[in-house]
Amino acid sequence: MLRFVIRRLLLLVPILLGLSILVFAWIRALPGGPAEALLGERLTPESRAQIEEQYGLDDPVFVQYWRYVKTTVVDRDLGTSINTRRPVSEELKERFPATIELAVAAMLFAMVLGVPLGYVAAKRYGGPIDQASLVVSLLGVSMPIFFLAILLKYIFAIKLGLLPTVGRMSVLIDIEHPTNFYVLDAIIAGNPEALWDVIKHLILPAIALGSIPLAIVARITRAATLDVQNEDYVRTARAKGLPPRTVDVRHIFRNALLPIATIIGLQTGLLLSGAVLTETVFAWPGMGTWLVEAIDNRNYPVLQGGILFVSLVFVMVNLVVDLSYALINPRIRVS
Amino acid sequence: MSVAEAEAREVQFEAPAGLWRDAWHRLRHNPSAMVGFALIGLFVFVAVFAPVIAPEDPRTGDLSRLEGTCCPGPSAEHWFGIDQQGRDEFSRVVYGARYSLLIGVVSVAVGLSIGLVLGAIAGYFGGVADSVLMRLMDIMLSIPGLLLAIGIVAMLGPGITQIMVAVGVTQIPIFARLMRGSVLAARENDYVTAARAVGVSRPAILGSHILPNAMSPVIVQATLALATAIIDVAGLGFLGLGPQDPATPEWGTMLTDTTRYLQTAPHLALIPGIAIVISVLGFNLVGDGLREALDPKFRGRA
Amino acid sequence: MKLSRLWFVFPLALVALAFAAAGCGGSSKSDSSSSAGGELVFGTASDPVALDGALVSDGESLRPIDQMFEGLVTLKEGTTEVVPALATSWKADAAGTSWTFDLRENVKFHDGTEFNADAVCFNFDRWYNFKGPFQQQSATYYWQTVFGGFSDKKTPSLYKSCEATDDHTVVINLTKPSASFLGALALTNFTIASPEALQKYGADKGSVDEETGFKPTGSYATQHPTGTGPFKFVSWTRGDRLVMEKNDDYWGDKAKLDRLIFRPISDNAARLQALQSGEIEGYDLVEPQDVKTIEGDDSLQILDRPAFNVGYVTINQKVSPFDKIEVRQAVAAGLDREAVVKNFYGGRGEVAKAFMPPSLEGYAEDVQTYPYDPAKAKSLLQKAGVQMPLKVDFWYPTDISRPYMPDPKRNFEAFAASLNKSGFKVVPHSAPWSPDYLGRVDEGTAGHLNLIGWTGDFADPDNFIGVFFQSFSPQFGFRNPELFNLLDQGEAEPDEAKREDIYKQANRLIMDFLPAVPYAHSKPALGFRADVEGYEPSPTTNESFAPVSIGGGD
Repeated sequence: MLRFVIRRLLLLVPILLGLSILVFAWIRALPGGPAEALLGERLTPESRAQIEEQYGLDDPVFVQYWRYVKTTVVDRDLGTSINTRRPVSEELKERFPATIELAVAAMLFAMVLGVPLGYVAAKRYGGPIDQASLVVSLLGVSMPIFFLAILLKYIFAIKLGLLPTVGRMSVLIDIEHPTNFYVLDAIIAGNPEALWDVIKHLILPAIALGSIPLAIVARITRAATLDVQNEDYVRTARAKGLPPRTVDVRHIFRNALLPIATIIGLQTGLLLSGAVLTETVFAWPGMGTWLVEAIDNRNYPVLQGGILFVSLVFVMVNLVVDLSYALINPRIRVS
Repeated sequence: MSVAEAEAREVQFEAPAGLWRDAWHRLRHNPSAMVGFALIGLFVFVAVFAPVIAPEDPRTGDLSRLEGTCCPGPSAEHWFGIDQQGRDEFSRVVYGARYSLLIGVVSVAVGLSIGLVLGAIAGYFGGVADSVLMRLMDIMLSIPGLLLAIGIVAMLGPGITQIMVAVGVTQIPIFARLMRGSVLAARENDYVTAARAVGVSRPAILGSHILPNAMSPVIVQATLALATAIIDVAGLGFLGLGPQDPATPEWGTMLTDTTRYLQTAPHLALIPGIAIVISVLGFNLVGDGLREALDPKFRGRA
Repeated sequence: MKLSRLWFVFPLALVALAFAAAGCGGSSKSDSSSSAGGELVFGTASDPVALDGALVSDGESLRPIDQMFEGLVTLKEGTTEVVPALATSWKADAAGTSWTFDLRENVKFHDGTEFNADAVCFNFDRWYNFKGPFQQQSATYYWQTVFGGFSDKKTPSLYKSCEATDDHTVVINLTKPSASFLGALALTNFTIASPEALQKYGADKGSVDEETGFKPTGSYATQHPTGTGPFKFVSWTRGDRLVMEKNDDYWGDKAKLDRLIFRPISDNAARLQALQSGEIEGYDLVEPQDVKTIEGDDSLQILDRPAFNVGYVTINQKVSPFDKIEVRQAVAAGLDREAVVKNFYGGRGEVAKAFMPPSLEGYAEDVQTYPYDPAKAKSLLQKAGVQMPLKVDFWYPTDISRPYMPDPKRNFEAFAASLNKSGFKVVPHSAPWSPDYLGRVDEGTAGHLNLIGWTGDFADPDNFIGVFFQSFSPQFGFRNPELFNLLDQGEAEPDEAKREDIYKQANRLIMDFLPAVPYAHSKPALGFRADVEGYEPSPTTNESFAPVSIGGGD
């Protein structure tokens, strides 16, 4: 077990290294060169000279790379946004919680709906619920997230007027934002109206973003349940006379958990990518809209900082998933 | 001929032919896969015969059709309505199929060809090549798909070719890993060991044993990758990173401008979106069907 | 054991609950506007840059500043007539260079300090003494347009000095007579702020970015804007809301609302939806296709702002062959302006024949016109001796909607299509509005043709054609001494009738010379909930929320 953990952690090194090199190389490859990219299109000769001195663009590549790593990791300086002239790291702190909240809500939606759906579909293999679950799964992965978002918005917000169309919270409600996770903030403020308002704003984007994870979770649960169902030890347990429900809970779920846990890790990447598209449709003030604006404005510092950060998070999540996978599945530890 | 030789010969013949025939049989009897084929067929047919099917040029509009608003919905003369430049929406959606098909196929081709080569090398030769290549793939996979594509487009600039390259590159690690896995598994397989023992040459082994067996997951993945490619390309188009000429009838780009007209002309947003869903659904259905048909685990099950 | 049964009931129940409650929760939209007094939420397109009138020039900054600050004079609600504000009367001396203003008495700034002649001079002198980066156009555009230079005399200035002859009398001395000076004082950029607050909170601290404008480092322009107006500042959280409240000590008619909140919602469709759901009570610049939607909804209303803008296509003459008159005429003949204005402006646009709206004095009916005629365009190009199709770089902005150009991309596509039929080959280019696009247009690096426009700031022809064509500008890239001189004359001419003639002549000359092709004047629209009363739209967008109230009930 320990060997596995160590090996897995060691794997982190080349990945992080490679990631930083990739991003660094990317900055150098941007149109116009790094000075243009980091300062904006029309930079003056003075500011260009300043950037060149600061980043030492005359120095050999390795020195530049080292300096880049140092400023990013040690100083935690991700540069300055071209548009707002604020530090990227500061904007990141504001934007990230919004996306996390959305991603968590989406994941919750996917799990809460997907696991039971997959389970029931497997139990009634071939029946109408099973067919329905397959259709839902298929549609989930075949529909572009932004189109689903537009559809949901059109039906529930415009036509039916049931849910709000944009933002995280109504402007009429005033609460403090100590954590910048609006659900938590509302709870801390002890304001049920605010809490309900925040949840209402979360519903449509979470459904849109969670549609693909929902499809996948449902399928995986279904497949896992089917698989385990037919395993010998399950049959044995049933033959022994254990009631079916006990068998299910004890054996099937525990083993279905394994692939589901893996899926969560894989989904993070999807969620982070999907957030970019979903947030645009709902004007959600998170990483997604931040990056899209950065693309439009060629705000490379923001793009670089954002992509780097998101990738880091993704790598970490995968690490955690891999380690917990090992914890759950004893077979892995030995291999 | 020794017993070993005879057995090896037998084994040599069994692997490929039996697998494919079995699979095709199973596929033919899978109703959803058949629906998928039909949808793909429709999609490709529309894409190929677009100039014949579309009543008008998708890029030329007649502003007088707008009658001062935006925009007239579906009618007898214009099945899908009129868009904000007075163009026939039906013609645009039909030509849009061409773009989606082209971009999807090229992206997957890029990802597949490069990925397969890398994966085969890593799997077959192992050692240093394997480690280096796989680390490289890990690094690429550590950046979520769309963000990687966006990063590439940011570097290359927006445009159709660029998004094809970007989406193609994001597909490489998946194919590489897949290929490597298959090659590794096949390498360890009994009949390969047997064939080696009997003296069949390495390239022959690669060609007649390893590759055909490795191909089945690749074919499944390629079909599914086409589905993803079409969606990803539409996504990049939606973000404004696709064709820079606004007159281009690409489905994703057609969706960008239409959210502002959702209240007055919803058909402009809904119809291209549904077109994307239908095409992608076709590829997903077939991909799933293929997976079931080719997966040995499923053999023997209803 | 019961657990597994609960498993699938639970999520279904959750979903059902969500929708049921969403339905119930929806009723909260009707309690948002109950009391008169009360609170009004207005949806803006973006955050202000800063809350200091002297250092900003964008509409969304000027809007809140308008509510909290006042100048010596202002415009009568809904018109362009100059009326008293902080000054009760004024007169110029015989030479027209010394203007004496009698100031209103018993007026206090929001921080309690006295409004007096010293305060007025403090403000004027502050503006006159801006140095270094503050002299960039992105910060002090309006001072430079009206007064010219600063105290360092690098360029001549209209302003000479300010004297506080007594507590309530102030004299402003100019270096030469000016006809447009008084009207310009109504601009929000010349509103008077509390000298104490300006000093205490470091109003002059900060930097100016060439593209994005003033970046305050002091807290005056972000947390302590202090004026004399009917609303006073409460708080501002960027990206979230700007809150103002009624000034109970206001000298004039007090505001009817208790609180006024500006909320930035950048997506136009989102603003409409927020209005429909009652999350906001009003917003500006309703897109043409949404006007009918609002008009058709009994709970909403549309208010018209009188047309005071012009949308046009710049022609950059610096690049050959656009310096040839035939080529420019061909461009004009190749733009299907009528179709665009008729179809893309929701019935609220009229085709522009000149660079000024018809309502402004100096407008000439008999200018040269250029009807859409692809064949004629081609023959003009042939006459000019250019190879057809003539490649032309045509730029349009993204992420923006302007009253004269509600959907730039849409206008662009239609114009490109008609130009392509007229012997041109359009190469499309686009950039985000701010800062890229605007910067490029100003510098003349936005191709041969680009889409742009202008909303008038004050009711003076100089504010339209004077701004564009009075001297060389990189945007248009031409030198036309005859035109320059004519416009100089017009600006200085004190006699009304003569002035009008001069501007009429200038308009004819401009449309013959064709430095650009005007195509639209539009009536911008504001959308409000039906129970909002008292809002008076003004052609120059100087609009006060003080008389606004929300009627009780629906």
